[in-house]
Amino acid sequence: MSKAANCVFNPEKNTIDCHGTWSILNTQALFSQFKNLNLPQEKVVTLNGQQIDYLDSAAALMLIDQVSHYEKKGIPIKLTGFSANHKALLNLVKSKKISPQTVQMSPTPPLLYRVGVESVNKLKQIDGFTKLLGELFLTFLLAFRRVKRFQGASILANIDTAGLKALPILALLSFLIGVVLAYQMGIQLQTYGANIFIAYLSGLAIFREFAPLITAIIVAGRTSSAFTAQIGSMQINEEIDALLTMGISPVQRLVMPKVLGLLIVFPLLIFWADIFSLMGAMFMSKWMLSVSYYDFLMRLKESVGLKQLMLGIYKAPTFAIVIALVGCFQGFRVEANADSIGSQTTKSVVQALFLIIIVDAWYSIIYSWMNL
Amino acid sequence: MTTPPIIEVTGLKNQLGDFWVHTNVNLSINQGDVVAIIGGSGSGKTTLLKSLLMLLKPTDGCVKLFDEDIYALSPKALRQLRKRFGVLFQHSALFSSLNVLENVMFPMREFTHLPEHFMKELALLKINLVGLPAHAAYQYPSELSGGMQRRAAAARAIAMDPDILFLDEPTTGLDPRSARRFDELIIFLHQTLKLTIVLISHDLESLKTVPTKIAFIGEGEVLACEPYETLINNPHPMIKEYFHGGD
Repeated sequence: MSKAANCVFNPEKNTIDCHGTWSILNTQALFSQFKNLNLPQEKVVTLNGQQIDYLDSAAALMLIDQVSHYEKKGIPIKLTGFSANHKALLNLVKSKKISPQTVQMSPTPPLLYRVGVESVNKLKQIDGFTKLLGELFLTFLLAFRRVKRFQGASILANIDTAGLKALPILALLSFLIGVVLAYQMGIQLQTYGANIFIAYLSGLAIFREFAPLITAIIVAGRTSSAFTAQIGSMQINEEIDALLTMGISPVQRLVMPKVLGLLIVFPLLIFWADIFSLMGAMFMSKWMLSVSYYDFLMRLKESVGLKQLMLGIYKAPTFAIVIALVGCFQGFRVEANADSIGSQTTKSVVQALFLIIIVDAWYSIIYSWMNL
Repeated sequence: MTTPPIIEVTGLKNQLGDFWVHTNVNLSINQGDVVAIIGGSGSGKTTLLKSLLMLLKPTDGCVKLFDEDIYALSPKALRQLRKRFGVLFQHSALFSSLNVLENVMFPMREFTHLPEHFMKELALLKINLVGLPAHAAYQYPSELSGGMQRRAAAARAIAMDPDILFLDEPTTGLDPRSARRFDELIIFLHQTLKLTIVLISHDLESLKTVPTKIAFIGEGEVLACEPYETLINNPHPMIKEYFHGGD
């Protein structure tokens, strides 16, 4: 099978002698041999195929291409000596071959058209997202008629995967952020000799911004993508359609438990991040600025207080709803191909992060209006 | 000396969990045969196919393709061997992120260094051979009907000009008309490309027209391997029940 194939021009007899296994794996070699044949002009050349012991359609197509190529150059080639089987294959290939030029990909539409399509697409997404939000709210209200519809077990499972299992990574990252924050501020404070203000500055930054954002980023990365992949594969498996035909709302069955689970666990996660960020800041303050743990905590209590902590935790419900809904929404948009899950998962994480930062900015604006 | 059979299975045993799927499978397929493997559900048709395709190492026994024991070959020789057969899976298994043309060109890209325009021409030839319209070349699998997907998968299976073509339930899930037309395609490919074809099928209509021999698997072994006309009159109770119901 791995025997070589070759074709040699014999100038005396004016023939091309062909030998060996003419298979797809040898076609490349045959191509270059044909190129170097050095055929004489204006003379009929005979190609003798008697010695070819194996011919497949790739080699046959190559042969036919080469013959017509030389014919165009004014060198007709006559095929002789092929076995009946090979002749039949050559005829089949000749009759079935299509030139690639005749089949064109549909041309790319003009730029303006694509901009239009994409805009409509985006508007439809907003429309779909709003509908999902509305349906979720309605399902939530209707669920009060029968408490079982809240899917307690499913909520608990979501709390476990989205919350409990995120605790170690959240603790580690929060601690590191606390350390970095205290270090950066500490350098400035040290030059003014205002070491003790580290508690106020880092406490305020952690409670109001850093802890909620770090939590949101981790949950968006872990959970939003998981929601998209789960609902997306259910979509491909037609499980969503199965639910619909049974008259069960996918929003009630799949989306609501996720949103509720995240709503419950998100404030707790922020609090968890608060604790570890502060520990990081305290550790750094003692190490670099010689502020004792006791002094740090006392200053924190007097100058920052519970109010700032709560201002951070108030962000939790919005973040939770944004992350869960974006994840689920992108999951429902998955189409039946393997690429789709990947691209929708990416979209869900990027959109969740994007929306979180927007929402965080709104919170800042609202807090400043309220002079908080 | 006669040429050795292209596929030869001797004393194949397969155990899945605690269950012996095959106890003693013996089957030999000659060059140019079209053999259908049939049997009741759970009789181990797919397991046999997997053993032939080197996807599942059998518990015991010998499988020879092209007169070489496939479970004693080096990985390199195996790779060479794999280029000599094409497989059409039950659910087409087309790569959904590639269009039909790219799907057919995929194995060519992997295994050969042919120029791009020639690969395209060759792929279009295969697409035309399986009876797909040329404009389907740039469509994605999800845009095709079930029957067309099956044809596209067939085009991919014959992309490398294999000697053996394995088909796993090629007509299951197709409407009767598409199924009959697909049968015609199998016969056409067999006749024009001189393929040896092994297919698993439940489709009685296909069994009547497509295979030259039918291997009936039951009780962990091949109970019979003969043409349709004689198989339906086989006195074995399992075969009788398969073709004539419980009477």
